[in-house]
Amino acid sequence: MQEKSAGLSGEEGPALSWIVAVLVLCLMLGGLPPSPAGASEYDFAIPEADPVPWSFGGRVTARYTWHRLNDDTAGFRRIYAGTDPGSNAHDFQALAELSASWRKSGFQAVLLTHHDWTRTFFDTGWDHAVYEGYVSISPAPNLTLDAGKKPVLWGTGYAWNPTGFLNRTKDPDDPGLNLEGRTFLGLDYIKSFYDSALNNIGITAMILPVVDGFVNTELGENKDVNAAVKLYFLWHDTDIDLIWFNGPDQPHSFGIDFAKNLAPHFAVHGELAVQKDVEIQSVKPNGSTGQITETQVSGLVGLRYLNTHDTTFIAEYYHNGAGYDDFRTAPASALQQRNPGKDYLYVKISQKEPAEILYLNAWMATVINLHDHSFNLQPGLTWTPVTNLEINTRVGIPLGSSHTEFGEKPDRFRPEVWVRYYF
Amino acid sequence: MRHTITFRFCRCISPCLVTMMLISVVLFFSSPSVVSAEQALTGAQILKQVDENLQPGNLEMYRKIINIEPDGKKKEFVLWFLKKDMDKIVTLFVSPASEEGRATLRLGDNMWLYIPNVGKPIRITSMQSVVGGVFSNADIMRLDYHVEYDVADLTEDQDQHLLELKAKTGTVAYDRLKMWVLKEELVPTRIECYAATGMLIKTLHFKDIKDIGDGVVRPAVMETDSPLYQGYKSIMISANLKKRALPDEVFTLNYLSRVKDLR
Repeated sequence: MQEKSAGLSGEEGPALSWIVAVLVLCLMLGGLPPSPAGASEYDFAIPEADPVPWSFGGRVTARYTWHRLNDDTAGFRRIYAGTDPGSNAHDFQALAELSASWRKSGFQAVLLTHHDWTRTFFDTGWDHAVYEGYVSISPAPNLTLDAGKKPVLWGTGYAWNPTGFLNRTKDPDDPGLNLEGRTFLGLDYIKSFYDSALNNIGITAMILPVVDGFVNTELGENKDVNAAVKLYFLWHDTDIDLIWFNGPDQPHSFGIDFAKNLAPHFAVHGELAVQKDVEIQSVKPNGSTGQITETQVSGLVGLRYLNTHDTTFIAEYYHNGAGYDDFRTAPASALQQRNPGKDYLYVKISQKEPAEILYLNAWMATVINLHDHSFNLQPGLTWTPVTNLEINTRVGIPLGSSHTEFGEKPDRFRPEVWVRYYF
Repeated sequence: MRHTITFRFCRCISPCLVTMMLISVVLFFSSPSVVSAEQALTGAQILKQVDENLQPGNLEMYRKIINIEPDGKKKEFVLWFLKKDMDKIVTLFVSPASEEGRATLRLGDNMWLYIPNVGKPIRITSMQSVVGGVFSNADIMRLDYHVEYDVADLTEDQDQHLLELKAKTGTVAYDRLKMWVLKEELVPTRIECYAATGMLIKTLHFKDIKDIGDGVVRPAVMETDSPLYQGYKSIMISANLKKRALPDEVFTLNYLSRVKDLR
């Protein structure tokens, strides 16, 4: 035993020497620069500079939400009617989104699929959907034709988009969230002007057919054809959009939005929307309900300011033309909307890299119902400690007295954490 | 005798040749390449030549940005960079996967960020940073210096030109710059960026002069550090430059979602 550890036997010697020699060679080769570029202090190699027509990617998200419940609220009684969840409810979500695309000479085909497994107090199950699936042809740089399912997000607001007649509901505090597209045939034309106050114009026109059980079923009845047009102008360094949307089962809608940087650290934006002949359900004083039509005017004005400490302030005032002053007169369907009230203020303060922690963003957001003065306070953190990994956490704290929007929310507070990995 | 010699000398040279010689002499003394090596250049001429050497005309190139933390941890981003005229810039993130498809547009003082999931491009400001770290959007989507700055003073320091630059308007990210420029190559070696208050915001160091593509010889590496980010460093490596003219329509908001088709 002592001999073995002290030296090599005659048979083991040559074999081990070979192994050592190979290992040393490997180490030497491994230590050598792989290419002439490695001889420099920097690696100039950029393999991404040789693009390929195919691309595959995706991301996975794991999300956990804890609902600390308040059983003395209208929201609790509405959502948990006939059940007994106790003081707490927990939601789990595992989500995979897979994307593939192929691009060649002005043609591209894109697919984004969404697969999520959710477990809540009420049920557990899978949901599969195609969020995007379209082909695009660009016969010239200023002209593109699209066919298929593609996200539409119009408007300049951060928290709300009254002119986003075709937008899906977004989460302003999770901008990375993928949103399901709309299915349409579309045309996009751009024209630039040189040395003019009007720098660019853009025309986007879309036709959105409804096919039962297949596409756009939320936009009308089978064989309905909806249409939307957006005109964009960059005029005097101001973004201006004029938006029009109409359909057999849709209110006739017009919108205008703008955004402008007044200084390198200060930007303003706004939206105005008019929707004619909107059918709403009204609750009469005797408690009965009925359908009426009305013209709804919604608007938003906001600003974004960045100070020298890398603190960003976003503030928005929103008037919801479809909102209710008194929630006791609102139908149940309205109460399920994100913000069913009439006037709101959204404020978000975010600090980039606090305490010099790189890639950490700390923020505090609040939505205030200006009629009943109830509000939702939401502090959060976003951190990307390593490439392609994003960790988010936030706590929603609704505050308000009885018979107010946020005072009647089912949660006392709602911590949430989600982790995303991109590949 | 002298007159005779002169006469004979002149007679043996054709008028055409004399004209050509005169033109050659005039061209020799007016040639920019000759003047560039002399002290006679004005500050404005030096600045314009610096711009021409760093970002010559309409082009595309790749930029690798490396953010280095005090503990040595690194994070890399690769951008595809397009420039047209003096006021149009588009960048497209090609890696990492979490940033892929994001694009930025700059038209003069206006800047936007397009995030594929968000859809609508949002306005961003020049002092923000789309990549974190020390580089701001103004550094990544920089216009030519002479477009945004006037030369306030030209002196000499450490055997280099020292240009003191003052922003033409209040919308420029840094109010004043001090730029050290190599006399022969007319490329910067160091730029200090100051706020209007006189506070030093960051210092840019230019290194590794080499051909980065299409015969363009310039510093391939720009390092930056900042007293506001003690211990942090960001590096931008430029490579694969190609001169390329694209239509104006590429540099528009509507095109941002499709700019990747041009790679």
